[in-house]
Amino acid sequence: MLDFFTIFSKGGIVLWCFQGAGVTESFTGPVNALIRSVILQERSGNNTFTHEALSLKYKLDNEFELVFVVGFQKILTLTYVDKFIDDVQLHFRDRYKNELEQKGALKLLNNNFEFEDDFKTLLRDAEDSSKARGPVSMRTFTESQKSQKTVKSMIETKGGDKGKEQGGKKNKNAKKEAPLPEPVKEGHGKVSTSEKTVENGNQGLTQDEIMQKKREEFFRKRMAGSAEKTSKSPKPQKPKEKQMRVWDMAGSSTKDLDYSQRNGNGSHDSGNQSQDAQIDSGMQLRPMVGDLLSVDYESSEEEEEIEEEEEKVVITDISKKAPKKGGGFGGMFGMLKGLVGSKSLTQEDMEPVLDKMRDHLIAKNVAADIASQLCDSVAKKLEGKVMGTFTTVASTVKQALQDSLVQILQPKRRVDILRDVLEARSQRRPFVITFCGVNGVGKSTNLAKISFWLIENGFTVLIAACDTFRAGAVEQLRTHQRRLNSLHPPEKHGGRPVVQLYEKGYGKDAAGIAMEAIAYARNQAFDVVLVDTAGRMQDNAPLMTALAKLIAVNMPDLVLFVGEALVGNEAVDQLVKFNQALADHSMSDKPRLIDGIVLTKFDTIDDKVGAAISMTYITGQPIVFVGTGQTYNDLRSLNARAVVSALMKA
Amino acid sequence: MEADSVRDPGTMEEKADLEMAENPFEQYIESVRQELENQDPIFIIGIIVALAVVVITFVFLKYFLSSKTVRSAVLLVGLCDAGKTLLFSRLLSGKFKRTQTSITDSSAPYRAKSDRGSTWTLIDLPGHDSLRPQYMEKFKSAARAIVFVVDSAIFQKEVRDVAEFLYFLLTDPVIIRNAPALLLACNKQDITMAKSAKLIQQQLEKELNTLRVTRSAALSSQDGSVGGSVYLGKKGKDFEFSQLPMKVEFLECSARGSKGEEGNADIDSLEKSLAKL
Repeated sequence: MLDFFTIFSKGGIVLWCFQGAGVTESFTGPVNALIRSVILQERSGNNTFTHEALSLKYKLDNEFELVFVVGFQKILTLTYVDKFIDDVQLHFRDRYKNELEQKGALKLLNNNFEFEDDFKTLLRDAEDSSKARGPVSMRTFTESQKSQKTVKSMIETKGGDKGKEQGGKKNKNAKKEAPLPEPVKEGHGKVSTSEKTVENGNQGLTQDEIMQKKREEFFRKRMAGSAEKTSKSPKPQKPKEKQMRVWDMAGSSTKDLDYSQRNGNGSHDSGNQSQDAQIDSGMQLRPMVGDLLSVDYESSEEEEEIEEEEEKVVITDISKKAPKKGGGFGGMFGMLKGLVGSKSLTQEDMEPVLDKMRDHLIAKNVAADIASQLCDSVAKKLEGKVMGTFTTVASTVKQALQDSLVQILQPKRRVDILRDVLEARSQRRPFVITFCGVNGVGKSTNLAKISFWLIENGFTVLIAACDTFRAGAVEQLRTHQRRLNSLHPPEKHGGRPVVQLYEKGYGKDAAGIAMEAIAYARNQAFDVVLVDTAGRMQDNAPLMTALAKLIAVNMPDLVLFVGEALVGNEAVDQLVKFNQALADHSMSDKPRLIDGIVLTKFDTIDDKVGAAISMTYITGQPIVFVGTGQTYNDLRSLNARAVVSALMKA
Repeated sequence: MEADSVRDPGTMEEKADLEMAENPFEQYIESVRQELENQDPIFIIGIIVALAVVVITFVFLKYFLSSKTVRSAVLLVGLCDAGKTLLFSRLLSGKFKRTQTSITDSSAPYRAKSDRGSTWTLIDLPGHDSLRPQYMEKFKSAARAIVFVVDSAIFQKEVRDVAEFLYFLLTDPVIIRNAPALLLACNKQDITMAKSAKLIQQQLEKELNTLRVTRSAALSSQDGSVGGSVYLGKKGKDFEFSQLPMKVEFLECSARGSKGEEGNADIDSLEKSLAKL
């Protein structure tokens, strides 16, 4: 039932492969996709990967530098696969130990690894073991619960009933979960006793009833002794009628909600409700008389939750470190033994070092779950590896972590904006760059810096002011335009101004303005169009929809996410939600996601450069620009090695 | 008499001077000899052994250090899916092997098919963009020749990526200093749509011409270091490969071979060029 199974070296040579019966497609494609998205992006923490219709599981053998990959159809759930891979790995290693131990690739090339028969036996064993449990035979009627109950108890009665008469079947009920004494609803059948059907049945009930059920389960679990009695005392059934919900903060009447007189111009074209919402919230002027209202309590609750989580994390770390105190003298010997001779790394050896590294990364502003995923991936990569002489566990782990960090920061595709702009110019179309991000990260400032850089290299720029919400956004861009034009006067550039601003004031639809700006740029032969959008929080669904619409409709060449280097764990949330919104609201099969990241305010962090890692890890996209200040010259590109050395510095 | 006595004091003085000069040495040597004789002979042997070890270590270090700088490796580089690992297998064993994306490098000694039969190491580096820079860093100083493998079939789509990699290779200070021979192997010639080596050369020259302008205008990195301030070729003239300080050669090959997996690969021209190294 497996589609394929490959064993190949980390250098790329396939040592042995097996293709299941009836499978015609080559497995090279899916396995390459696995390598590129999982292993090379340091996500090897979880060992499953789905690619189109196939599900791939893999295992790394770090001692002999091998990779074992098995692939099967996603719809199948094969339970024996994990154990099967482990068995195959052990078998293969034992059998071909001599050939694999040779350094150098010649042995791998010259040998034919005849593994067919062993593989077939292992596969047969694995399949048999999974079938051994056999299908569960159905219970006969006499064994089932239904035969035990009296007919009378199963008749549904309206009004509060005390549940079903259990009769003398208390022991039966004590074995399984006590039945929930909810009044039975139509279409729900009997309230069965096994948990599975309860869960299935829950889908038919409404929220309130589910909550009540769960509450009663909770109570039952608390009072273990008199389980059945308490569980069987439901509240008397109220006549069900809809009661109007009363909100605490609601006004008295609906007259307050009529704005038809106050708001004279409701000038909006079809369907951009987000802009409506923004304008309306501006118009709803609550009088600011008296003391300022305090901040919402929601935010403080969130902070408390975050603190609690951090405390929990700290406590678990301490509890992990506590058992390591024992064994002083043995520890000395172990250290010496570890220095000399070849020793293969195990999980326990790496654990303390990895914990320290994880804390170090978190202290350097890398997001917490990314730091742990990274450390898991490094552990997977190093497990079983044989260390050379005079290398300690700490140095090996640090080196591996450093390599993987550099690997993450290296761009996975060519990043050369000037070359792409030249290409677009030769195709007689403008190169469109869109900037998106949350509020206050520096979109407009960095847009001005990038246009300065492009002008210095001889391109003409059109700035599209699609931030139609924030007061002063258009004026800010106009000021930048004037300054840039004075720095590069039109006389020196062939009589036409190098920067122009395309704006339509405030309150209009951003996607429409962007479309018109691009058409204008094409007519007037501008080289680059920089689209500035309004800052928006990632949780704000209507605004995210508006942004997704802007990007889907205009198909820009480059979608840049602007993020500040000061952000911590928030970066993960922002990027995930932005990408999610862009993917959800796009009509095509291949949605335009974030193509690159602009990392701003880099001069405000000294060496706490972890935000760069978090952002590139989450999206897999490169950091295209780094903003290091507020003047036009403060624009840089990323140097991966420098960032990683700053990160690993103690 | 008096003359003699006058002369004598001169010689006496000289002799005295000489004796005086020798005396401190002799006295010194005498004292050292006495010291040594007083000491345990084992101690003397110990000192002699220590000195010998130090001398031998120096000799070894010199040997090892010098052997590192001997460039005896031929690197197989190129973009992802160019066919480097298959070429590696064909050159070494002549067999066809299925390959996957390489994650690490592979190296093996290679015996050139020439009269001299010199052996050097053939190293196959991964082509994936995130691994390329660190492996190049590791191996570029040991490179005696670089075989740059290009996928001729999809070259049109990848022109800019190939050119950028080539640009970084050619402007690297270590490579410029060592000037290893550069062999551009246009692989996958068995596919009908494959471009010829001449066409690829022209396209690359045109692309590198543009690149050297845009790359020199690229932003400096955030800690102030400016990348590659080397200008390829000659200013004022269009870029040509002949302007480079190293030997550049274009050749065609097919690692898969025209007869499919069972036949031999068409890598004769590559083997001939490698033999000339």
